[in-house]
Amino acid sequence: MSLVQVTVDDKTYEVKKDSLLIDLLIQEDLKVPYFCYHEALGADGNCRMCMVEIDGQKRPQIACDTPVKDGMVIFTKGKKLPIEKIRKDILELELINHPIDCPICDQAGECSLQDYYMEYGLHDSHMFGLEKVKHHKHIDLGSNVILDQERCVLCARCTRFCADVTKTHELGIVGRGDHAHITTLPGRKLDNPYAMNVVDLCPVGALTSKDFRFAQRVWFLESDESVCTHCAKNCNIYIDHNRLKYKDEKIYRFRPRKNLNVNGFFICNEGRLSYQNLLNNRLNRPSRANVDGIFKEALKNAKNIAILVDASLFNEEIELIREFAQKIGAKLYCPQKFYIDEDFEDDMLRSKYKAANIKTIQNLKLADEMPQNEDLIINFNHSAVLELDTSKVISFQTHKNTFNTILTIPIASYVENSGSFTNIDGITQYVEKVITLNEPIPTISEWFKRLEL
Amino acid sequence: MREVKIVSKRFDFEDSHTLEVAKANGAYGEALKKAYTLEPTQIIEVIKKSGLRGKGGGGAPAGDKWELMPQNSDKPSFLAVNCDESEPGTFKDRQIISKDPHLLIEGILITCRAIKAKHAYIYIRGEYKQFQDILQGAIDEAYADGLLENCDITIHRGAGAYICGEKSALLESMEGKRGHPRLKPKQKECEWYFGNPTLVNNVETIASVPYIIEHGAEGYRSYGTERSPGTLLFAMSGHVKNRGVYEAEFGTSMWEYIEHFGGGVREGKKLKAVIPGGASTEVLTADEATEAKLDYESMRSMGSSLGTGGMIVMDEDTNMVEALKNLIEFYHEESCGQCTPCRDGTGLSDKLLEKILSGHATSEDIDELLELSDTMNGKTICVFAPAVSGVINSFVGKFRDEFEAYSTSKKVAK
Repeated sequence: MSLVQVTVDDKTYEVKKDSLLIDLLIQEDLKVPYFCYHEALGADGNCRMCMVEIDGQKRPQIACDTPVKDGMVIFTKGKKLPIEKIRKDILELELINHPIDCPICDQAGECSLQDYYMEYGLHDSHMFGLEKVKHHKHIDLGSNVILDQERCVLCARCTRFCADVTKTHELGIVGRGDHAHITTLPGRKLDNPYAMNVVDLCPVGALTSKDFRFAQRVWFLESDESVCTHCAKNCNIYIDHNRLKYKDEKIYRFRPRKNLNVNGFFICNEGRLSYQNLLNNRLNRPSRANVDGIFKEALKNAKNIAILVDASLFNEEIELIREFAQKIGAKLYCPQKFYIDEDFEDDMLRSKYKAANIKTIQNLKLADEMPQNEDLIINFNHSAVLELDTSKVISFQTHKNTFNTILTIPIASYVENSGSFTNIDGITQYVEKVITLNEPIPTISEWFKRLEL
Repeated sequence: MREVKIVSKRFDFEDSHTLEVAKANGAYGEALKKAYTLEPTQIIEVIKKSGLRGKGGGGAPAGDKWELMPQNSDKPSFLAVNCDESEPGTFKDRQIISKDPHLLIEGILITCRAIKAKHAYIYIRGEYKQFQDILQGAIDEAYADGLLENCDITIHRGAGAYICGEKSALLESMEGKRGHPRLKPKQKECEWYFGNPTLVNNVETIASVPYIIEHGAEGYRSYGTERSPGTLLFAMSGHVKNRGVYEAEFGTSMWEYIEHFGGGVREGKKLKAVIPGGASTEVLTADEATEAKLDYESMRSMGSSLGTGGMIVMDEDTNMVEALKNLIEFYHEESCGQCTPCRDGTGLSDKLLEKILSGHATSEDIDELLELSDTMNGKTICVFAPAVSGVINSFVGKFRDEFEAYSTSKKVAK
């Protein structure tokens, strides 16, 4: 790939020939406003906000549709052309029919329109005595997506997503001129397993998530990097969470995080909503007080010990359990049928294995069967335990159960711990601890230390 | 003024749309025979030499466009004839398809030979149903006569969007998508229909081809001016005695044309203004109109353009503010809504004009209209918004006192 030199605002950059100018501007954080361009969807050129001056061209050019050429000289703020005024004027046109409802809009705080107004606009309204074009509000598109047509800037990211990425074509633009609006076909819903991505794609408050809207103002949220463990793909995400005064940590949403090697730009709806069960119904105390005594007693009395390992544990935890199994001469089991959901798999992101670390389990060739005729079963969060004689089970688990065991021990979930997962394509990713509960639940390794195993 | 009938030569015959009458008067004759003796590249050479210019409004040299079509493509090539004639004041193409559809078919046959296309589409304006029926009848006759053995012609009916007359929006529409203009290519290339090389030309451009092939480039060049050779079906509407479509050569004096064919301004009124080539061209004042010559270069030098040659004549009683409002209403309705400056700019200018007409506006509102027009100019994907900008600038620039008269202080007496 040949490199070319371009000059942006008197600084020279080396970039790939024919790559898009806007990519360079975004990458180098050279401020350029844009609504319609998105790395995953490419250029559409409809918002006309990313205007720059290119030396030798008498009209302003949009950066999203400009492949860089060697020796190109670009002025992002304009030299001969009043680029800043042009941006301001076009932004004003985006705003003339936009409701000024930021105080009740859920996008406020992460809205491009709001940000650009502060950056480039700051103009007085010219709409005195003129009526705005009115569009419909609060339309339930389906798949947890709510549409407010009057907030829309018609960047067409959502329609392009449905046309080019999911190829389901549910969304379209209807009407011409300032009557144009996003809609579905009459009687049809936005209905595909990736539909909620349009909420992230929408640069303004036109598409919001039914699941998240009005739950929390975004400026109160902390965003941390993690991965989704709903299936074996381990899509990269941001976990948006906070701890309100006198309350415990709460997760409000998962958002996709770009990683071209794993998930690209998106995540599926199910994975996105899988945060809901993460901190609910948690087990936070052992079922009996004398954990140490009961555990050691059970180990001492048992001849045949089986260990059930869940495929959503970190690599490091599985390693620890393996060492422990060797020490006590126990056999490791991980029946995989509990994770398999053939209907879930598709050719985009979703894997049929609904467990984050199934690849490691497969690599280690742990027994893919149910333990039989054992005296004692030590379960590490595997749901197969439900089909076993639970009176022989000591169970380490993240969530509450309804069955009787010798002993049930609470363990931290992956967001309260750090470690690595290997996804179905063999990519190992390290995940940092995101959540610290008011009363932290010990991790497996902490239990191992405490029980001197 | 020299009488000349190249495209309109059979218009006045009875039943001129039938194959029988057309053939009896020279259709599918010499021109077609000659075209079949020429190699495709030779036909393009003749068209280039003739200086034929696109007659849909842009006036780009047709031959240059034809040359962009690949001669050895492994994909099929197509011809798309643009008959989405929706420009206010323009009604020439419908004369061709209703009065001499066989001229168009003959032109299509020759053009398809030149660009090695086996299938031509005619994209027709949705509202032209009755003309479409005549054209379809002619195509059926041509099929029955065996004329279309090597080249199919299909009519594709539009759904009534003005923007689909823009060539890339036309192709999007033909592909079954929303009629949105495409981003312009970075280098000169042909158009693409489902990824196949395609030539898009106006009806009249194609209908001029048989004459050029029959009489040669020089024959065509004997009419018109050096840079705008040949003729155009100029049209006249508005405050003239005889409205209609009359063919004339390029370079004709506008006033002479209006006097000769139109019989001058109606009821002996004085001329106030002329929109020279369809609504999207800058208006000319009476003084400019009497000076103007009907060719691309002269019009350009007057700060307007020849466009489609559809003149709208306005007499002294015309209210220019209302006239502009009428035009802007059209653009507001027809903006495709893709680019921001056009989508919201046309709507806002419509509202500002309404405010001016209501008598609540001030001078600042008129300035704002001009500033808005500046924002619409040169910042969009297609030339729709720049055209609107030109219209606003010319109306307000040349007749500002009429706009000022509406402002709050001095309301115009009606």
